[in-house]
Amino acid sequence: MLQARPGLVVRGLDVTLGGRPVLRGVSLDVAPGEVVALAGLSGSGKTTLLRAIAGLLPAERGDVIATARPALVFQQHALASRLTARDNVLVGALGRIGFWRAALRLWPRAEVAAAEACLEQVGLVGLGGRRGDRLSGGQRQRVAIARALLQRSAVLLADEPVASLDPETAEGVLALLRDLARRERLVVLVSLHQPDLAARFADRLLRLEDGCLRTA
Amino acid sequence: MRRAAWIACFVAVQAACIWVVQPDLARLWAGLPRLAGWIAGGFPLDFSGFGDIAQRAAETVALATLGTTVAAFLALPLALLAARPSCPWMPLYHPVRTLLDALRGVDGFVFALIFVAAVGLGPFAGMLGVALHSAGSLGKLWSEAWEAADPAPMEAARSAGAGRAQAASVVLLPETLPQTASATLYVWEFNIRASTVLGLVGAGGIGQELKNAVDLLDFNRVLAILAVIVALTLAADRISAALRRRLL
Repeated sequence: MLQARPGLVVRGLDVTLGGRPVLRGVSLDVAPGEVVALAGLSGSGKTTLLRAIAGLLPAERGDVIATARPALVFQQHALASRLTARDNVLVGALGRIGFWRAALRLWPRAEVAAAEACLEQVGLVGLGGRRGDRLSGGQRQRVAIARALLQRSAVLLADEPVASLDPETAEGVLALLRDLARRERLVVLVSLHQPDLAARFADRLLRLEDGCLRTA
Repeated sequence: MRRAAWIACFVAVQAACIWVVQPDLARLWAGLPRLAGWIAGGFPLDFSGFGDIAQRAAETVALATLGTTVAAFLALPLALLAARPSCPWMPLYHPVRTLLDALRGVDGFVFALIFVAAVGLGPFAGMLGVALHSAGSLGKLWSEAWEAADPAPMEAARSAGAGRAQAASVVLLPETLPQTASATLYVWEFNIRASTVLGLVGAGGIGQELKNAVDLLDFNRVLAILAVIVALTLAADRISAALRRRLL
């Protein structure tokens, strides 16, 4: 990942999985404060693109240039069910915390305060002590967003963040992402299945078809 | 055809086993009256000097419990290296799994026999034997639980910048606690059962008392000790099952 001009720049990204080309020459730009929605049929490569940008999948060719190591809001939350909401959020700070402090749960006070602030930001005040498996689907999604926020990255990627949510909660989550992009000047790239939501909450809509990107 | 081949294979294996073991029903028949005489002569059970039996039983529980605890400390780093999600350096993965298989492959009884020669008679040698064998069992059970765990929370931690060992300690260990704690209780319960015979090689516990009674052909005493062993293993079984139910 190169440190460069603000925002997110992807150039000529090729990703092959199991011998099958999934992304072919994908290029895109997202500016700070902008929300870009990524649409496409199942299997079109949306998750692969986000994971490749996040550095979780190796690209065969191409460059990802971002102002910071991207934070990814995973599809299906990826929360630890036996950890509290607060500890799940603190997972986002592991890159800054030493091994023993983290292993012994001796979280730095400043990080705990920051985790509480992130929970407050996503509207989960007072739920920090609740275990992951005792949260509703919408609450889990918000904890996953708070975890990504605590990474303090200027680039936020979200993979189908509202796929399993009811319409009202889904709108709340997308409004939150848009507000964060505006307020914190974050780059937000979000994959969505619902074109109506994309039209309402995103500044731009990009469509992935057979691994190639088209402007919708 | 395939079924016939399986049946032929099974019959061949059993025939080979019979050839090696040489079972002799005539010898069993001749020995049955002697066995029946010992059992009949074993009543009433002789609980005189119960303090000695109780002390040896406590020794069995103590060496099995301490052995399991030491095994857990030994198993933790080995299991972390033997599970793909937590192994920080993959070239170590297969060698450590082989080491765990080797530890599991040698019975605690055999390890105890070696430790008796090395550190002398008594429960300390038994505890060391139990610990070494159980480290292999626990390492294997834990690493398998970690490999079967949902990889998504680990991946989230890794993407936030955590190393493998750090992500494992913060996410994987708490997530799989019910499975690993349950496996540990199972191994503890198994160790209590297995430790009742360690005394036969001088490695402490109630087995030592049993061996003394058998050597003296004191069958009233032998049956009394067997009754205590059965009570001990049943109690361990019940306690372990109750704790496992609470965990899962």
